[in-house]
Amino acid sequence: MADLVGVNGQRTDFRVVGKPNLPGKASMSLATGVAKFGIDYVLPGMLHAKFLRSPYANAKIISMDISRAKSIPGVVDIVTWEDPELKNLGGSPMGGPPSRPYLDNYADQDGMEVGCIVVAEDEDIAEDALRVILQDTQWEVYDAIVDPNKGRESNAPIVRQVRYTSFDMFSSVKPEDQKGNVNFATTVQGDVEEGFKQADHIIEYEVDLPAFCGHIPNPPSSVAWWTKEPYRDGEWLHVEGAVQRRDSVGRMYGVPDDRTIQEGIFQGGKYCDWGMRKSQEITPLLAKRSGRPVRCAQEREETFDFLMNERFIHMKIGFTNDGLITAIDDFSIADGGIQGNSSFGTANDQGYGPYYTTRCLNIRQQMEIVDTNTGKMYLSGQHCPFNWDTLTVGLHIIAEKLNKDVIDVAKLNLHGPDSQEDPRVVPSFEACIETGKKLMNWEWHKAGAKRLPDGRLHGAGFRYQICPRHAFSGYDCQLEYRGGKIHLPTQGPITGIFAVECNAMIIAEELNVEYDDVIVDYDWRNKFTPVGGGSDGTTASGWAMKECCAKLKKMILEQAVKEAENPPAGGMFSFGPPQPNPIKGYTIDELDIAPKPLAEPKPVPAPPGGMPGFGGPPGGFGGPPAPVNEPVVYVKADPSIFKALSGAVTETLVANFSGRPPAAIWSLGMGKMLDTMNTAYCEVAVDEETGVVEILRFGVVADPGKVIRPTSLESQIDQVMYFSQGCQLFEEFIYDDATGLRLNNNMIEYKKPTVMDVPRVDKHFEETRSGNAVYGASGVSHSMANTHLVICAIYNATGVWVQPPATPDKLLAALGKI
Amino acid sequence: MTITLNLNGNPTELDVKTNYTLQEALQFKLGLTGAKHMCNKGVCGSCTVIKDGRAVLSCQILAVECDGSTVETVEGIAAQPKWKPLLDAYCKWDAMQCGYCTPGFVVSAKALLDRNPTPTEDECKESLAGNICICGTYPRHAQAIMEAALAMNN
Ligand code: FES
Ligand code: FES
Repeated sequence: MADLVGVNGQRTDFRVVGKPNLPGKASMSLATGVAKFGIDYVLPGMLHAKFLRSPYANAKIISMDISRAKSIPGVVDIVTWEDPELKNLGGSPMGGPPSRPYLDNYADQDGMEVGCIVVAEDEDIAEDALRVILQDTQWEVYDAIVDPNKGRESNAPIVRQVRYTSFDMFSSVKPEDQKGNVNFATTVQGDVEEGFKQADHIIEYEVDLPAFCGHIPNPPSSVAWWTKEPYRDGEWLHVEGAVQRRDSVGRMYGVPDDRTIQEGIFQGGKYCDWGMRKSQEITPLLAKRSGRPVRCAQEREETFDFLMNERFIHMKIGFTNDGLITAIDDFSIADGGIQGNSSFGTANDQGYGPYYTTRCLNIRQQMEIVDTNTGKMYLSGQHCPFNWDTLTVGLHIIAEKLNKDVIDVAKLNLHGPDSQEDPRVVPSFEACIETGKKLMNWEWHKAGAKRLPDGRLHGAGFRYQICPRHAFSGYDCQLEYRGGKIHLPTQGPITGIFAVECNAMIIAEELNVEYDDVIVDYDWRNKFTPVGGGSDGTTASGWAMKECCAKLKKMILEQAVKEAENPPAGGMFSFGPPQPNPIKGYTIDELDIAPKPLAEPKPVPAPPGGMPGFGGPPGGFGGPPAPVNEPVVYVKADPSIFKALSGAVTETLVANFSGRPPAAIWSLGMGKMLDTMNTAYCEVAVDEETGVVEILRFGVVADPGKVIRPTSLESQIDQVMYFSQGCQLFEEFIYDDATGLRLNNNMIEYKKPTVMDVPRVDKHFEETRSGNAVYGASGVSHSMANTHLVICAIYNATGVWVQPPATPDKLLAALGKI
Repeated sequence: MTITLNLNGNPTELDVKTNYTLQEALQFKLGLTGAKHMCNKGVCGSCTVIKDGRAVLSCQILAVECDGSTVETVEGIAAQPKWKPLLDAYCKWDAMQCGYCTPGFVVSAKALLDRNPTPTEDECKESLAGNICICGTYPRHAQAIMEAALAMNN
């Protein structure tokens, strides 16, 4: 169990945390369209910018003549890659040096920003100018490669005609190892050959991880403008639509934090894609040059980045007669994509792959990372670690071969909490599978052995995951008490994970007030941001917030005692001697806060010369106090003695806490230590005649340690299961092999699941409190996303493997029907 | 070109470029941000508005085609107390994550309730089939709409 410090692990009763249906603090703004995303901003005098985008997958501009385009009425500015202002721009998202020039004359993906940016009075004029520029541009076009298997062949053309210094703070890949289009990453533990000798069975199989699209809901866009203030030196940069934090854009332009303003808090869905697009970075430069606000909005066609790169894996697993794995050998060919692609989709997966969750000590992972012209994955991806399901597939094959329940095979192979040699069962896993079996009416059957009443084949799949999470970030929390309310000053942002609301619930819980008594003050000047990686960041920031609450609560009670002893001077209209204070004379240890009075108030004797006691109407002259409908400070030993919080503490109080929770077991162990786990299940019906697969239902039994906000947690589980459904049944990037052009860059030909497509997701949450963050929570985050749960269920139904997406034609081919 | 709309109950005159879509006219000429630009291809439903009583995709209609029409946007719906239960139910059930698609869903939901005050779950789903939520909030919408319908019918 994680080392829970402070007050975090001790609470047993929860009044607010875990409660469903508490509305999001900004939900009404979202529902009514008032919420403004970067693309929504319109300013007087605003100009529009558009990048030239490469019509080729691999090409270099030899010459470009912008004179004709410049003469088009309404064209205000054209900035080319040779402009010194552009040359000096850039940086990596994590603050390091840029991995490639901000804009170059070389493009290694079709649709990539290249050559120049046009600024015009409106978007149509900018597009007209770009059409003219395309006519006046000469290109050198190189062979493009979109299939990593072809890219690694010895006679393959070299993809990267211009090679930039690569910068990736996470990757272990060395540029000097590059051979042709290929680089290498290898990780070895134990002795794999020896492990195979111990095996009674050896299986080999192929797993293709599908590439699929991230689809940020709001097309990335920004609007920027500069202002000066009278009597103050310098300029202020306003930028709306920058991802996560305005300071990363400010930094690009040398503008200090306190002069970089981003008032908008709505940033759309991110789903671990935190990378900035050029449309979100370029507008300050263009606004500076033109002296007017500039907007740069991406079209949907320009927003088809990878949520996950493609990978082809050849697996070899040795296991004993009872199903215990003795050796794992993973050889992967990974699509390295274009330069600047995130290594989370490639070499970085080796560090925390699924294999370390098994008792198998002999593990080899070899990867060839192939440069291609396919595209880019920004920073991370919802599905990391991407190769998780190579093990899931293996467990299903072992189960089939030994005629054993796949859950039993998984349980046999999963190591205990402390190390790969720990023989104990992880309690969280045990809890999840017990409930999961009940939830799904789980009855394992051999492949092809069960038919549904309508004649279709029935199949079931199972997978487990750890909760990969980081909690690497620290959090700077601040809370303010003002007039009976608790204010949470934050810069947001709002990205669809209800992280601010989770913090508000924790505040209400800890200070013993109602959720509605916590007021969220959004302002770009505030330091606190609960973001740091989905539910990881939410629960980790919640940990720090809980500490901050402890400080504020102490301050409130101290102040209540102080003001009871020395009543503050009354306001402008107060007269006569002060009213008696019922909590006077008590110490802070004797007092507490409650969301409402816990008992009827006791009459308080009137002070000499003061108002008489009860006898008049409630709240009126001589009457008892008006009913209190707000938090109170009360005497623990006698709750009928209390005072409304707003009256008990009139001073404004501010508490701060900076810190982060204890390190996550996951980040310490990368699978070699285990705490919170989760399991997912899938039931399919397969029509052998048509090849159509229907997901009858998904089941998810997860252990987030402690559920903070169930309504959004459930929604996020739905989300990842639908992502998973999409990539396994129908989402697919289609390229033209000859030209390297992507052919389905719109939402008609690349369609995400709709309400008519998605299946039921039955959910249950265990709460083992074994995570590292607030109340023992861990966050579930990426971990439910999968690439092969449905594929495993199809295998269980039909006995054939089909690589995702399992479209009817592929399945019929695998069944030998076409 | 100058067009006149009855927009959210108010006669509104606006000067638009002839190639402006209704979505662009609402955003760039009136600063209304409820009809969102997501796909610009008539696929996602984020830009849904109600034109002459029917839910339509404002990215697929030219503003000039709407001259003389009655147009209702999410802002107009939100301004009517009658629809508060719908919005409250959306907030209560988190029928949103990032919220970018949400106004489009709300407009589709309102159009449904206009013609069918007591929709079933399947009827809700059918009416929302043209709205894509990348965040996958789908199960929440029917729940919110049916709860709102109940509240509104009482
Ligand atoms: S933006 Fe109009 S349908 Fe997608
Ligand atoms: S809530 Fe994000 S797209 Fe629907």
